[in-house]
Amino acid sequence: MSVMADKLAGVWPEITLGLGACVCMALGLAKASSTRKLTSWVAGLFLLLSGVLAIAGPQPTSGLILPPQMVLYVKLAVVAVGVVLLLVAAQLPSSWRATHRAEEGIEPFDPANVMRGEFFAFFLFSLAGVMLTTTANDLVWLFLSLELVSLPTYVMVATSQDRIRAQESAVKYFFLGALAVAVFLYGFTLIYGATGFTDLSRVQSAAATTTSPLLTLGIVLAIVGISFKIAAVPMHFYTADVYQGAATPVTAFLAFVPKTAGFVAIIILLSMLPQWPTHGPIMWLLWIMAALTMTVGNVMGLLQTSVKRTLAYSSIAHSGYLLVGLLAGPALLTSGGGGSGAIGNGIAAVLFYLVAYALSTIGAFAVLGCVQVDGHEADSFDDISGLSTKHPGLAAVMLVCVLSLVGLPPLLGFIGKIYLFGSAMAHRGENPAFVWLVVVAVLNSAVSAVYYLRIIGACYFGKPSGRTEPQHCPSRRIAALVCGIAVVVMGVAGNRLVTLARESSQLAQPSQQTPAKVVSDELPTDIHGG
Amino acid sequence: MILMLPVLAEASFNQFAVVGVLLLIAIVFGVGNLVISKLMGPSREGPIKGLVYESGMNPITPARRRFNVRFYVVAMTFLVFDVEIVFLYPWATTFPSLAQDSPLNVLFLGRMLFFVLTTVIAFLYAWRKGVFRYD
Repeated sequence: MSVMADKLAGVWPEITLGLGACVCMALGLAKASSTRKLTSWVAGLFLLLSGVLAIAGPQPTSGLILPPQMVLYVKLAVVAVGVVLLLVAAQLPSSWRATHRAEEGIEPFDPANVMRGEFFAFFLFSLAGVMLTTTANDLVWLFLSLELVSLPTYVMVATSQDRIRAQESAVKYFFLGALAVAVFLYGFTLIYGATGFTDLSRVQSAAATTTSPLLTLGIVLAIVGISFKIAAVPMHFYTADVYQGAATPVTAFLAFVPKTAGFVAIIILLSMLPQWPTHGPIMWLLWIMAALTMTVGNVMGLLQTSVKRTLAYSSIAHSGYLLVGLLAGPALLTSGGGGSGAIGNGIAAVLFYLVAYALSTIGAFAVLGCVQVDGHEADSFDDISGLSTKHPGLAAVMLVCVLSLVGLPPLLGFIGKIYLFGSAMAHRGENPAFVWLVVVAVLNSAVSAVYYLRIIGACYFGKPSGRTEPQHCPSRRIAALVCGIAVVVMGVAGNRLVTLARESSQLAQPSQQTPAKVVSDELPTDIHGG
Repeated sequence: MILMLPVLAEASFNQFAVVGVLLLIAIVFGVGNLVISKLMGPSREGPIKGLVYESGMNPITPARRRFNVRFYVVAMTFLVFDVEIVFLYPWATTFPSLAQDSPLNVLFLGRMLFFVLTTVIAFLYAWRKGVFRYD
């Protein structure tokens, strides 16, 4: 039983979020309108509680694939960004017709039509899924936690707006998601077939001794399937439609939560290999994926007339940048590679950039969500045209966040890109192809500036259209402000986060341990053991 | 033993031959079945053969009939309890085999009661949501 207790010890934050989701679901159906309005507060409370438990609660002592610091880092990042996302989304349920009418007393409260509780419950479930992904030590666990991330988001997209477009995008999202799940599940079965284990630590030790092509193919398929979560080529097709169709707070949610889960899952899968893939098919897969993702994202971003679609393609492009850091891999063991400090550690760069990108893009989406045009959310470039004259504060946040996405020097995105591309350069000794990838990435950054500057141009130099009116959602403004300030302040003084990311990413690759010894006492017949 | 197949194959084939064989089997199986049924199956045509259901069932109404979506919700609620039984059954068979004075008894019972409680919550939620109300 100690094994079970030990496994439970690591997941108290997730259990808290699960309980919180149940409470939210019940509160959303309460009789009194004032009680129902408490749901978002309760969700925030449970989110903070799970953050406290992640730091101060019992820590898992064994059975982790990722180092415990990295698990803690990702959990805290999920809590911190989750709070910002909750601020963005807090007033969203009030904008739905049925909920609104029930709250204003126009219609009697009908439990069947009001989705407030479900929205926040799914919100918490999805965050719990990301946390569970970090503690995954079994293929089945990894699969279930990735699904726990995605399944709630399908419903969140479908119910996020009272428009048919939201449902259309949810259907697209769901079916393409199911396809992606099939692909990575096929990969998982091949990994199991090649090694005979679903337990990841045993897969790791089995992979250290035999080089099975089935294992390679399994990991390749798994990565391709997971590229749906991170919105990378070849599974990026849904991104623009879904980001545009969902309500802006849900879009911001999609830009951070599944992406983080996906990258954590890919890090877990790649650490199954005897060493980080710097050569061979998996390296080339990631190389091509990174180059294509960046290029497709940025080129398509140039062609858009909708700000939300532009930001969606920007999300694809940033997945490409993140893949560059992922490919560079953990810090070099020898100091001769030129990798000193955080630069040179691709995993640390990915962990850092996930937060940096999240804050920048959530800020931009929050600003969009604060503006209303003809009774619906701002979407096209015309909608935000001349934003600076009416709402100088919102326009300033948009300016800062978008410049951070471009990667201009004092801001958060700049530091993130330096670490991503710098770590790839530091690893050029292992494979010269990394240099070309960095060249592609830098060229892409330059191209991306064009459409980012179009957003700023529309905000500051466009003719104000008289149709825009502010949305009544104070917490969304606070979230936008928090993102704007964080992007500037952490860009100037973000060393703490960089240090955290670096400390958290001492990846335990089996090549640093002694792989041969582990295998001898683990026979393939012992599948049901442990 | 089946799990060792890749290793055996690797010894004699090239690196990715296993994958090739797998793909080949998949293709041959799919195409082969189509070809065999085309060759061996009797092909009869006629008005009865052209009916909607090959099993011989008579189609009663057009397919575009409206029906109550609530059916699905009830079916899904049923699934919740169905899955619960799947977990309850193995527990029920192993629970009596625990020693009488074992401290694990209470723990095991408590866990299962907690699990049942989660289902009760789901049931109450569905009730409040009006799933069981037919009007």
